[in-house]
This record gives sequence, structure tokens and C-alpha cells, in this order.
Amino acid sequence: MAIDHDLELMLRVRRGDGASFDELLRRHRVPLVNYFSRLVRDRTLAEDLAQEAFLRVYQARHRYEPEAKFTTWLYRIATNLALNALRDRKTTQAPAEAGDEKAESPASGIADSRPTAEEQMILSDRERLVREAVEALPQNQRAAVVLHKYQEVDYRQIGQILGVSESAVKSLLFRAYENLRGRLAPLLKGGQI
Amino acid sequence: MKCWKREQLFAYVHRMLEPREESAVRSHLDECARCREVAEEFRELDTVLDAWQPVEPSPWFDARVRAAVAAAEQKRSASPLFGLRWARWLAPALLVVLVVLGFLWVRRSPEVSKPVAQRVAPRTIQPAPAVTAETPHQPLARTQAPSVVRPPAAGATEEDEISLYDNLPILEDYDLLANFDVLSELPRGGKKVVN
Repeated sequence: MAIDHDLELMLRVRRGDGASFDELLRRHRVPLVNYFSRLVRDRTLAEDLAQEAFLRVYQARHRYEPEAKFTTWLYRIATNLALNALRDRKTTQAPAEAGDEKAESPASGIADSRPTAEEQMILSDRERLVREAVEALPQNQRAAVVLHKYQEVDYRQIGQILGVSESAVKSLLFRAYENLRGRLAPLLKGGQI
Repeated sequence: MKCWKREQLFAYVHRMLEPREESAVRSHLDECARCREVAEEFRELDTVLDAWQPVEPSPWFDARVRAAVAAAEQKRSASPLFGLRWARWLAPALLVVLVVLGFLWVRRSPEVSKPVAQRVAPRTIQPAPAVTAETPHQPLARTQAPSVVRPPAAGATEEDEISLYDNLPILEDYDLLANFDVLSELPRGGKKVVN
């Protein structure tokens, strides 16, 4: 079981097993970098924050108690780092600059199902609109949507990460999705950009 | 037919409802085209959000994390208290020990441990002068007799401790007595007492 395996790995890290830390890094680096990337809108900053999150996990290994899921603990650290970074930075990145991230993303082009140039443009525009719509959400709604939609974290865990009740998470998500529905209206009902 | 609220339809689409409620919404959607449309819109929105593709970390990400961890380990091992988990309690523990030692030192100091009668020289208080018509009016505090602290006599240290204790209440009583005298000589009913 994946959750048990994370806990087991973390307990081994606590006992000083460096290989288990490498295993945790390998398992969680992609979701964590993506989580930061979707919250802070800056690829470089996202990697810096993900690095800091892993470092904090390592430094806190002696204090780690397996009371909750490992990912709950990891995302709580990550969310605090992201919200602090957003608070510190204040300035927002220009959309054009943010749009360049996609070009350098290895995940953007899958060899066998590579879309045509026109399809690529449409996909790119859809992605940009979605990204801008999510980025325009208030911080707590954005974190909830990213955790729910992209990190596939369950409602109870989202509540523990954000420090709110499960029912508050559901309400937060509803408001967030209503906001997104308004912003993404051109893409709904089969609409194309 | 009563329609469900948008929030409940959203909860249905995202599987937030209890099984009984979920079943009720499903039955309603079979009959209500308007609610079905709302639910379909939430599903479509969920699909639209899939357009935001994940990114891959840079190839040197793992190496950077390992380097950061190694640097933190090196910094930690450079500390003189490396590996001592109890080291964080050292400063508060030292403080407590110092406070206790200080307290014991004060308690065992010869000057402090002496009885009060041995440390303070006996005072002799002169009686207050009587208030008369000729005496200009002075505030009450100033009419009290001044305390004269005599330096200890040559043989004072040899005095019996018990006799010093015996004298102490008398001196205190005399103080009270002096005050009483002064008060009794103050004007009564607006008239001055003239001797």
C-alpha cells in the first residue's frame, strides 16, 4: 500500500537510512514541484520551494510522528512554504513569461500523440486560460482546487493540510469551482478558443 | 418537483454526498433536465481543468536536494553538540542550576543567616517635643521624634542575644507611644491645647 510505504520509508529515514530518503524524493518530487508550480506561478521558485520542503522533511525526521498520512505532513509543509513565498513576493509574474514554462516542459510533447501545430495552439490557449483562471482564485481556494483536482488529495486530508474542517473544504471548493465556471465560460458548452 | 441546490449538485458530481443523499440526487437527475444540465456543466468544468498539464522537475533537481541535505548535515556535524538531542535543553537546565546555586549561596551567607537583632544596631528614639501655642504648626510627620541610630558600642557584639530580643518590643512600643503623645496634643475641636 502506497501510504504505508511512505510511512515506512519515513520511519527508516528517522533511523538514519539515507536510501529511504532518496526513495521518498523519487516518489514525491514530481507532484511536489507541480504543486508549487501551480501555486506560485514560477517554475524556478517552485523548484526552490520543493527543495526546501524536502530539506525540512529531512531536518524534521527525528520529530516525525506517524499520526497522519505522510503526504498530509508533506503538503502541510509545502502549503506553508508556498503561502509564505506568495506573501513575501507580492509581485505577480507577467502571463507571457509564465507561458514560456510550457515550452520548456518535457511533459508538453508526448512523442506518439503529438498534436498538429493548430491543435497545439488551441491546447496551449486552453491551458493558458485554465492556468490564469486558477491563478486568479484567492489563495485558499487555489490551494484547495490544486490539492483536489491536480494532487488528488481527499477532502479530509485537504482539511488537515489547510487547517479547516472537511465541510469547510467542500464549501471552499464549491465557491472556487463557481468562480472557475465564470472565468472559463468560453471553454464550456463545447466552446473553443 | 423540488430541484436541488447548485452546491448539492456540485457535491454529487464530486462524490461528497452520503450514499442515501447521492441516491436521491441521482433519481432527481433522471427526471429533471435543468438539474441534469447543471451537473453536466460541473463535469465539463472538471474536464476543462485537465488542460493544465503537469511539468517535470529539472534534471538536476534531485542533485540539488541531496546537496542541500548534505550541506545541512555538514553544518550540523560542525556544531560542538553534534548528535546530542538533549543539547537543546542544556541552556535552560544550566539557568535553573545557576538560580538554585545562587539561592543556596544567599541562604548560607554569614551576614544573611545572622539573626536580625545581630545585624541591626539598636535604635534609641527620643520622645517628641510637646506641641505648644508657641510652637509653629508643623506637619504631623515632622513632629515625630527623629530616630537616632547609635553606632554599636565596643561591647555591643558581646551582648547577650536574648537581651536584645527582649529590648526590641520596648523600642517598638516606645515608637507608638511617642506618636500617641503627639496626637493627644493636637488641637481638639479647633482649639489649641496650651500647656
